Amino acid sequence: MHPGYGFLAENAAFVRALNAAGITFVGPTEDVIDLMGDKVRARAFVAERGFPVAPAAIEDDDPASFVERARAVGYPLLIKPSAGGGGKGMRVVREDAALEAEIETARREGKRYFGDGRLFVERYIERPRHIEVQVMGDGCGNVVHCWERECSIQRRFQKIIEETPSPALSPEQRTEICETAAGIARAVNYRGAGTVEFIYAPDGAFYFLEMNTRLQVEHPVTEMVTGIDLVAEQLRIAAGGGLSHAQAEIRQTGHAIELRICAEDAFADFRPAIGEVLLVEEPQGAGVRVDSGILEGGKVTTDFDPMLAKLIVHGSDRAGAIARARAAVQGYVILGVTTNTGYLDAILAHPRFLSGDVSTGFLAEEAAVLTARGEDVTDILVAATALSDGRLVRAVDEIPEMHRLMGAWRN
Amino acid sequence: MRRLLEIGGEQIPVWLAHTGKGYVVHARDRAVPCALTCSQGRGAYVLELEGRSIPLRLAVSETATFIHLYGRAYEIRRTDPADRLVEGGAGAGQDSIVAPMPGVVVSVTVGPGDRVEKGQTLLVIESMKLETTLSAPRDGVVAEVPFAPGEGFGLKDVLARLAPEEE
Repeated sequence: MHPGYGFLAENAAFVRALNAAGITFVGPTEDVIDLMGDKVRARAFVAERGFPVAPAAIEDDDPASFVERARAVGYPLLIKPSAGGGGKGMRVVREDAALEAEIETARREGKRYFGDGRLFVERYIERPRHIEVQVMGDGCGNVVHCWERECSIQRRFQKIIEETPSPALSPEQRTEICETAAGIARAVNYRGAGTVEFIYAPDGAFYFLEMNTRLQVEHPVTEMVTGIDLVAEQLRIAAGGGLSHAQAEIRQTGHAIELRICAEDAFADFRPAIGEVLLVEEPQGAGVRVDSGILEGGKVTTDFDPMLAKLIVHGSDRAGAIARARAAVQGYVILGVTTNTGYLDAILAHPRFLSGDVSTGFLAEEAAVLTARGEDVTDILVAATALSDGRLVRAVDEIPEMHRLMGAWRN
Repeated sequence: MRRLLEIGGEQIPVWLAHTGKGYVVHARDRAVPCALTCSQGRGAYVLELEGRSIPLRLAVSETATFIHLYGRAYEIRRTDPADRLVEGGAGAGQDSIVAPMPGVVVSVTVGPGDRVEKGQTLLVIESMKLETTLSAPRDGVVAEVPFAPGEGFGLKDVLARLAPEEE
């Protein structure tokens, strides 16, 4: 049973049920899912083995003193649900006055999303990057990494553009962070595909954030630069076939970027968009891959995640990959439901993105530039809309010739 | 013949006319001769406008036109002004809280008949994984809270309504 990358992929009860039914789960053991799914335990486990973690306060250590210990971590701080993931229920607090109210809100969201209201707080690193490392283990002590992914382009803690290699890392730093990730995976005798996420500070320090015990949405960028089919690897490992590559054989070639195409209106406060898909034409060509979940005639509703498709490109270097990504996203035609393609293109064109000078705050800091309306094309839109409006054109055509000659008659 | 178009939040009245030689679009105090012809590819057209030939992709639904132009997609909402008058009811919106985006109701703290003060929480909604508290826009009496906790709603659905103010 391959669980994809949804909630079932990290649900230990689901794995137990499969085991009881004699079905092989493609992924790690339930114990590892349990450990890494509990951020508090995961953090303690990683810290105890000498890997770097950020200053924090954990509610469970002593609930009565939690607020006081949270204060002692210092501002700004980040409140997270212990059972959380994917940015849900996380709150940044910058001043003491807001602390207790934000704790209550985070607790309520944690209960609702995860059935668990326990929290922890962590020092919020200013201008952080989010860098994660793909790991693969055979469950018999052998672990390799498939290099890093830079995932700093986030909106409200949701990644929307990912790339590899990270423009932030020197070769030495890259080796260090990747080997740290492999070490953490080795410490749990990891089986299958996993991702170790780190916060990367401007001074080059990095801290363990969490481990996702599943395939990630952004795994294709790793596939593009390593040439390794991660899903095929997962199946091979689950079937007992072990790892197909030694560490020295896993190389990064070129540069890959993934764009998440979402149904939302970036120019109207990112309102979720709904509608019927009327026309789709995917970009094609060398170094362009589209993983899509939509078809013409399909309906996009708010019942599901707003991500409709992923556009992944590969280039020989970062500049080449960006150019290819821009051409591809501009040529990606999706009509009938509003998507964020224009916004993604604006990010790719931004000087800070081009230079690699980004952090997880980039999208918020540059929001005004990124959601600015481009050149005024209203005349074109108005004319094309009027002339493609069948009822309107027919009505105009039926107006007797004499009135026509009077021009734009109004009454 | 008229249409009311909405482009990027701006309402633009548009007239289409025919001069005998071709179509003219009147909008934003200008009259622009134009023509639209089919081109290669599904939904592909070329718009002739002020001496320019502009390639674009286009799809039309009941209430909106979607245009892919210069690498960007645009949604243009269309209304027939005659329909709009029917909605009428001056000031009808003031008593209602309308959904700013689609989402799900998390909790409802008031019911029909309850007296509320300005700023008092009426209900909590969740959209895009974030909670938003909706509060009373003025003092008054709750007339209706149409959605129960757990129920989903669409853009511009009425989430709560206060009874009209008595003069």
